[in-house]
Amino acid sequence: MTTMTTAAARRPVRWGRLAVHLGCLAALLVMLYPLAWLLATSLKPANEVIASLNLLPGHLEWSNYKTAFEGVNDVSIWRLLGNSLLIAGGAVVGNVISCSLAAYAFARLRFTMRGPLFAFMIATIMLPHHAVLIPQYIIFNKLGLVNTYWPLILPKFLATEAFFVFLIVQFMRGLPRELEEAARIDGCGPFRSFYKVILPLTRPALITTAIFTFIWTWNDFFTQLIYLFDPDKFTLTLALRSFVDASSQSAFGPMFAMSVIALLPIVLFFLAFQRFLVEGMASSGLKG
Amino acid sequence: MPGHRTKGFRASAAALALCAVMAGCGGSGESTGGGKVVLRYTWWGNPDRAARTEQAVALFEKQHPNVRVQTSFSGYDAYKQKLAIQATGGDAPDVMQLDYRQIDQYASGHVLLDLGKVKDTLRTDEIDAGLLATGRVNGRQYAVPQGRGTETVVYDVKAWKAAGVPHPAKGWTWSQWADDMRELARRTGRPGATDPGQSEDAFEVWLRGRGKALYTKDRQLGFTADDLTEWWTFTDRLRREGAVSPAEQTTQLDGSVENTPLGRGKATADFNWDAPSSGYLALVPTGVALAPMPSGEDGTPGQYFKPSMFLGIGAHTGHPEEAAALVDFLLNDSGAAKILGATRGIPVNEKIRTGTASQLKDFDKTVSDFQTSLEGSLKDPPQAPPSGDNALQTTFQRDYDQVSYQRMSPREAARNYVTEAKAELRS
Amino acid sequence: MTTTDIPAPAPGMARPAPAPKRRPRRERQGAAWVFLSPWVLGAIVLTLLPMAVSLYLSFTDYDLFNPPHWVGLRNYVQMFTEDPRYWRSVLTTLTYVVIAVPLQLALALVVALALKNMRRGKGFYRSAFYAPSLLGASMSVALVWRALFNDGGTVDHLLGNGGWINKPGWSLLAVALLTVWQFGAPMVIFLAGLQQIPGELYEAAAVDGAGKWRQFVSVTVPMLSPVLFFNLVLQTIQAFQVFTPAFAVSAGKGGPADSTLVYTLYLYDRGFVASHMGYASAMAWVLLVVIGAVTAVLFRTSRSWVFYASEGDR
Repeated sequence: MTTMTTAAARRPVRWGRLAVHLGCLAALLVMLYPLAWLLATSLKPANEVIASLNLLPGHLEWSNYKTAFEGVNDVSIWRLLGNSLLIAGGAVVGNVISCSLAAYAFARLRFTMRGPLFAFMIATIMLPHHAVLIPQYIIFNKLGLVNTYWPLILPKFLATEAFFVFLIVQFMRGLPRELEEAARIDGCGPFRSFYKVILPLTRPALITTAIFTFIWTWNDFFTQLIYLFDPDKFTLTLALRSFVDASSQSAFGPMFAMSVIALLPIVLFFLAFQRFLVEGMASSGLKG
Repeated sequence: MPGHRTKGFRASAAALALCAVMAGCGGSGESTGGGKVVLRYTWWGNPDRAARTEQAVALFEKQHPNVRVQTSFSGYDAYKQKLAIQATGGDAPDVMQLDYRQIDQYASGHVLLDLGKVKDTLRTDEIDAGLLATGRVNGRQYAVPQGRGTETVVYDVKAWKAAGVPHPAKGWTWSQWADDMRELARRTGRPGATDPGQSEDAFEVWLRGRGKALYTKDRQLGFTADDLTEWWTFTDRLRREGAVSPAEQTTQLDGSVENTPLGRGKATADFNWDAPSSGYLALVPTGVALAPMPSGEDGTPGQYFKPSMFLGIGAHTGHPEEAAALVDFLLNDSGAAKILGATRGIPVNEKIRTGTASQLKDFDKTVSDFQTSLEGSLKDPPQAPPSGDNALQTTFQRDYDQVSYQRMSPREAARNYVTEAKAELRS
Repeated sequence: MTTTDIPAPAPGMARPAPAPKRRPRRERQGAAWVFLSPWVLGAIVLTLLPMAVSLYLSFTDYDLFNPPHWVGLRNYVQMFTEDPRYWRSVLTTLTYVVIAVPLQLALALVVALALKNMRRGKGFYRSAFYAPSLLGASMSVALVWRALFNDGGTVDHLLGNGGWINKPGWSLLAVALLTVWQFGAPMVIFLAGLQQIPGELYEAAAVDGAGKWRQFVSVTVPMLSPVLFFNLVLQTIQAFQVFTPAFAVSAGKGGPADSTLVYTLYLYDRGFVASHMGYASAMAWVLLVVIGAVTAVLFRTSRSWVFYASEGDR
């Protein structure tokens, strides 16, 4: 495919390329339809929501957004947004710090039990979350931390998302070992070479970690559901769910307007960081 | 080397400090509200109920300036889950709204305060003794009914009239009901009602009409696989005839009136509790009316006045007296009653019920009149169902799904259900 | 319960990095433990201890309110011999795994191959196809999915059969499609893997007279097999634990007629809805053991069909 250079072969290749583009575009239309539907429905008046295939609303029902912006349970949408951001932000800081610390030890340092511990860490990636859910709740409850943001943020500071430890380990393994050798000769201990030499070079993997942590925490529903119960501590996701509970089909429009608002930060994040997301993730996964 | 190490430690210390700051922002914790007693009061409901409750709570706070009430509500399913999890470790709210099905479990699990301890503050003498007894477990009062409701056949008046089916009379039987459904289906081309086979509530009414009960006094199953087979054969036949809604419709039921066949305009009647039936008004433009549930063939009524929801106090509350005062206020205060209306069912306080009956408006009045028409003719409610009933309600639906999607015969499904129910009640 | 698509990492993951050749010195050991301390604390307090507790609970009757009550193997016996719904949930989960995983991976591979040699627009397509993987786990998309496949929804309008989510034969497919929709994550990995295959291999194959298909079979497939393998392992493991799409499509009930009652949904139902935490813990442990076994089997058999360039000698 890459070596077709003769003039005779060029023509069919171009047609083939067109076909590939057409195929991709068609697939893309199907893929993005649900999102288009969401956006369209969020602007439709109630009576048009069901019973119409037409994506374009008869008229734009901006009041759906007005209703959505009023928030849920007397909690303003800005408050909900702030809560979501706080939790996601805390999770990002926690994961970046704790996972890079652990990853450095696994990737670069030597200690007894390193092999078994690494295997255990990998195994926890595959651990069904359900197996630890109930006891974890009991522990946080005993500590009096239920209905605070601690149970949502603290685990991230303890590197419980092993996937990210693994991701950063993979990346660090790809860094040339000579760098540390040089640092060591200059008199750097492991701590100094970690934050002076390794950490700056690991930036792409850290950014990937940060972005995924943000998006996953933002989307997370179940943990928030069981740990938070004051409406003014709710996140956007929780509020959306309680909005669904508290209202009915007649509130379809505002519900989907709120859905759009809840997705917006992820979409913005994606647009801003897509290079890191796609490339950083793919390459840090494959290197080493 | 030592110097580097110190630096390294300083870095980790900084990281830890950052952890503390970040997480600290989250854990705002509970404020004491400036020396005031803070009560947590939670319930399930819709925004209308929320608005009225907030108003009533504000009035309470005005009367008790030393108390601040922190309220929180959500939809029923989410509420149930949340409360269960909170209750696990003694973190239940000070005052909580409870369902019939939660009382047994929560009382025996020491989640609820024995209300005998606060009986001086919390008065119950205005409440019908039979109704009050539903909040009793092992001889102790753990919860007080807040409102009462009863089941009803809610129907599209105009569609029935057009089809020439008469308004159902008090004391109509299940076979008369079935005939009417067939007639309606024939005339309107739509099923008459929601398939009642999936509803444990409807089954209970049918069962009581034959002098039996869902559960015995010692919390065992009160019926046999044969009884259930008969019920499901009855509904299965009606469904196959098209007299009640098909499986694809029934499976969409989620507790909201919007997703019932009647609400979607795909049937002309439904079974529901009386108060929530107000929701149909917005969905059935031609108007709905309430009829009694069908009775047994010999006229034995199956329906009963059921406490629609209860109030209970957390066993570990730090302020039992204040919590009791709030419960008392919600039940017995005339000001509160005026604000709350029938949002939690028709009030159980007899004095308040008669006092406010005349002030009720719109659908509240319809419900109140409906209940008055039944008063005196119904049998006492059963005691609170065993805790396993919570799960069995879903199991009931699931097993009937197997029948309505024609994957099992009524007999097979009924046998399954009885096996599962016995296992559930064993624990 | 976030069943977010974990972007599958690549080969060699089960082995720690080659250890530094130097002899470990005492302070290095100490330093390592300082770096590890948050992880160790988390592993003990939030993973090992809870696992032990849930293992204990699996031998008890525990409703969250009353203290756990030892019942020996009863939960396991009941699960395997007296609970037809349990076996239905196992069957549903297996069906789901068999539909969703191959479909998702095949689609990911096809799109990755299509994009591989694209000169223009590659970055755009890659990002656009990847986007659903980020959004798919959200509550918002779950609500959309339910509406699309309900009666009166788009699928109903197009196929006119009353939507899928109310039909026991179709509802699981709606769930699987929500997973397949998020094929972007494995696709990106495939694409990266494809690009690491040296062009000379294709040139050599072309010189030997191999056509496109022949090149695909004898160059692409073996060179890509490690990536394929890890995508397969991770997607399979995740598919066994699928929760959110099934929860969303069935509004939490696993219906109609239990057709979307996947394993974790039934586990959640037993534990959090029916308050049988002992039974749910037993279910969790069975799942744990099964996932461990499946992973072990995949790893064992990988030798025979995964081609590692460094070891191979073709």
